[in-house]
Amino acid sequence: MINRPFLIHWQIGIVFYLIVAVFLCSCATNIAVTPQTIGNDIKSSFQIVGKVEYDGNKDYLPRTINESSPQSDISIKYEYNITYGRDKTPQALPLFNPLTIVGFPIGEDTMVITGNLTISKEEEVIKAYTATCGLEKTRSIFSEGETFSELRKKGLLLVRDNIEIQMCQDKEALLNLIQQTGGN
Amino acid sequence: MKKEKINYFYIFLISSFIFLQGCATLGPAFQKTETIPDGVGLVYIYRPDSFIGAAVAYDVKVGETVITELPNGGYFAYFSNPGEVEFWAKTESKSAVTLDIKQNQIYYIKGTIGVGFLVGRPHLMIVTSEVGEKEISECKMIIPKKE
Repeated sequence: MINRPFLIHWQIGIVFYLIVAVFLCSCATNIAVTPQTIGNDIKSSFQIVGKVEYDGNKDYLPRTINESSPQSDISIKYEYNITYGRDKTPQALPLFNPLTIVGFPIGEDTMVITGNLTISKEEEVIKAYTATCGLEKTRSIFSEGETFSELRKKGLLLVRDNIEIQMCQDKEALLNLIQQTGGN
Repeated sequence: MKKEKINYFYIFLISSFIFLQGCATLGPAFQKTETIPDGVGLVYIYRPDSFIGAAVAYDVKVGETVITELPNGGYFAYFSNPGEVEFWAKTESKSAVTLDIKQNQIYYIKGTIGVGFLVGRPHLMIVTSEVGEKEISECKMIIPKKE
């Protein structure tokens, strides 16, 4: 026979842990970057030199490429695309959900960033790299989580790092390819 | 009893009037900006008409400068210098989006309002031209308040 005070104490404990679990779940930002790369060592000394076609924030440009004279026959183009998403849940729904008050998610924001780096020689593409980063965060009545601006910055840096790693892992093949085609 | 009811009615009427005085007014229906000046990009900031949070309006800022108040069903055309620009709004929480603005390009920022703990929360989101053009066509121009 279980005594009543013990049962109540036990039930309060369960409810408390559930609230904490729901609250913590609703604050997290999920991030996935593809392609998956093994290791994260970026050899900063390795750089491909060429004419860079990119007019955005330099912080998001892979550090494995470097600007050379405009007369260079190697051309490197970097561009990224960002897609924003938001859940289709009716905004009034959380008002009628009793779990809202314990921090149950009331909505979700998503962002997909795709970065493309193309290395060309005399109009011919000799190598291309792509990285995609998916970010997802949930909102609760207590926390909005990170803003789209913060997610964008985080995602663009992850895409940059991923392309850098791909290029470093591809270093030998990439240098051979440039030499075969008569590059510097 | 009847007198009390009338008093409540007048209090409601006066407070509604005071409340609405602080709101931005809406002008004509959406009209596309025909020409973009050289060296800048055009950003349309709009908020589709919605019953939820209709009475709540919030300021949209760039840096610390208020560029417009965003009421329900309104839009505002903002010319911005090229480069990364952050647009943000805040009530009890902050919402922010960053655009990498290019010359002569058009961008759309959609504002909505969501459920908050004490007051509605602003949400800003960058939408595609297809979505933006369709939704903004039902909005009306925001006429700035006179200082």
